[in-house]
Amino acid sequence: MAKPMTLNICHLYPNLMDTYGDRGNITALQYRCKQRNIEVIYSPLTINDKLSTNNYDLFFFGGGQDRAQEIVGKDLLSKSKALKESIENGATLLSICGGYQLLQKYFKTIEDKTIKGIGLFNAYTKGSDTRIMNNLLIEINPKLLSDIKKTYQSTTNYEPALPAGRPSTNYLIGFENHSGKTYLEEGTMPLGTVIKGSGNNGEDKLEGAVYKNAFGCYLHGSLLPKNPHFADFLISKAFQRRYGIVKLAPLNDSIEWQAHKSAIARIS
Amino acid sequence: MVLAVMVGKIIALLIKFKGTGGTAAPGLYALKIDPNLVKKISEKNNLKSIVVSGTNGKTTTSRILYDIISKKYKVIHNRQGSNLLRGIASTMITNASVSGKLNYDCAVWESDEAALLPISQNIDIDVLVLLNLFRDQLDRYGEIDTTRKKWQEVVKNLKPDASLILNADDPSVNYLSKFTKSKKIFFGLSTTKIDLPQVENVADVKFCPNCNGKLIYEDLYSAHLGTYKCSKCSFKRENPQVSVNSVTFNQDYSTSIKAKIKKESVSIHYQLPGLFNVYNVMAALTSAISIGIDTKSATTDISKFTAAFGRYQQIKLNNKNILIFLIKNPAGANEVIRTIAANQRINLLLILNDHIADGRDVSWIWDTNWEALAGKISNLDIAGTRAWDMALRLKYSGIQINQKNVHEDLNTAISSATAKLATDDTLYILPTYTALIGLQTYLKSKGVASWQNQ
Repeated sequence: MAKPMTLNICHLYPNLMDTYGDRGNITALQYRCKQRNIEVIYSPLTINDKLSTNNYDLFFFGGGQDRAQEIVGKDLLSKSKALKESIENGATLLSICGGYQLLQKYFKTIEDKTIKGIGLFNAYTKGSDTRIMNNLLIEINPKLLSDIKKTYQSTTNYEPALPAGRPSTNYLIGFENHSGKTYLEEGTMPLGTVIKGSGNNGEDKLEGAVYKNAFGCYLHGSLLPKNPHFADFLISKAFQRRYGIVKLAPLNDSIEWQAHKSAIARIS
Repeated sequence: MVLAVMVGKIIALLIKFKGTGGTAAPGLYALKIDPNLVKKISEKNNLKSIVVSGTNGKTTTSRILYDIISKKYKVIHNRQGSNLLRGIASTMITNASVSGKLNYDCAVWESDEAALLPISQNIDIDVLVLLNLFRDQLDRYGEIDTTRKKWQEVVKNLKPDASLILNADDPSVNYLSKFTKSKKIFFGLSTTKIDLPQVENVADVKFCPNCNGKLIYEDLYSAHLGTYKCSKCSFKRENPQVSVNSVTFNQDYSTSIKAKIKKESVSIHYQLPGLFNVYNVMAALTSAISIGIDTKSATTDISKFTAAFGRYQQIKLNNKNILIFLIKNPAGANEVIRTIAANQRINLLLILNDHIADGRDVSWIWDTNWEALAGKISNLDIAGTRAWDMALRLKYSGIQINQKNVHEDLNTAISSATAKLATDDTLYILPTYTALIGLQTYLKSKGVASWQNQ
């Protein structure tokens, strides 16, 4: 029997950036790999742990409380070089909310204090005094769509979610909860455009950022369980580095798409 | 003031005739006419006021406390309704004369965490009971530190002869003692053994509120409750004056505890399950003693207490047992899961709603350890506005989902769940807040007594 494929997942600061239910993304990745007989090697990495370049296929970095984010921000500077090199060498990364913000160039607080980020994404965030809390529906950047469609298959049908009649796999649905407003610098690719909700800043209709195989966004929910096409897309991207293009076995995603659809239906 | 009270009374009467909800409405409109109404009524009446707040357990604690002290005093309490300032206004209006006179000695006010600051500015607090702080409805309350800072203001302005009753085991609550001039009384657990199934822990507090140093735990009971000290500064758990040194959770969901109150030892057996109720009982006991109730009388009333609306509610429906546990945040839901996971064959109905009172964000279910129920579920039904999110969460916990048992309609879900039960079987219903209200309406239509009248 062939040796099972392995996926090395690094969860950045899971003990600190754990307030917004983002752990469900790890649960989803693990579940979807297990169904396909892919072995997941899960490594939590936190304050003072050493990060070496090229050890991991997939990084995950979630959101946390403000105080935790401050502490993590300082430590992240020591992991910056290895993390950026890993991304340059093809590793995949998903970051959400606080994690997404720390990977940008800087965060300017409402008191005009500048907190340095590691600048993986060519973007910055400005604090504001209003909190954005919405169900957030986005249409994925067309540049990513063909790849997503190539990698995603399900044994069940999923109907178009929106009256526009475009397929469900064009969309991501989640919940945003942030007071920072993110702005992408010239040339930075967004993850998608906002259909409902605010996204990066509530002004330019853009949500998230993409750099190579690194993705940032404000989508809690958790994101990956009820967006299985995006979960499989990340797994495929993560495999490419060591295994080339791998076709993932289709799963029965009926409940996943029901959850996706019913969350969209809750948007008023 | 007279006009505000009268308008409030008229609205209350109209609501009574209509027979539906709206316990906050009289207060809401009366406060629009006179924003200082609560303050004015408060000043006019020399009540001894006890205010209870915290993320989990404030309803149960204030109800136990009411039961205890109403033996000795005439007590006014926002038992039926809202725990915001308008809810207190409503309760006052309904019970006051047109001139605002209240014929009571004492008040027990349950307070929403975020409403504690405005409530404290309107009520002359004699005893303030702070239970715990967990993350809860992040879209409504924000993060824990936000609420703690508001509480800090409250505690700072408490009068010197007031009593501040604090849970020593919760670092954020314990820390508040630093900011007060009033008398401090701590309660806490002092036992190394909690006889409940383990669930993976979700701590909402990991750092010292004083210096951001890492907190080190000697004992950890649940979430971030335990015996801790800071690794950097001198901040640590205070030694509680009222402590529980032995806890036994019984099969019939009653609990036996041994507590120490200063030097006195007492045993209490009461009809509530789970770890949080140990804290609720301690908080109520500590508060009652602080206003001069004797221990024996307090423990007798605690042993007779039956649970509040939906917080471990036992009912019978067509010869079948139903147990209802409200769920609303990871810390509370994890304790409910621990409590029911002691069974090997569980009939379960989960109802997840995402209305404003539930929290519109359902992400928290992914930080809750449903995995502890895997392999123990005999029958499962799921309902609510976000039933499919719940179904997906359970699927990823390794629990089999039959899609026929995921329901859009609550009544269908309850019928489906109860139809599967044999006589004397027990159905566990875990609803979020608005689902609990819907459940109550359903049960009322089936002739099960209304809880609002309790």
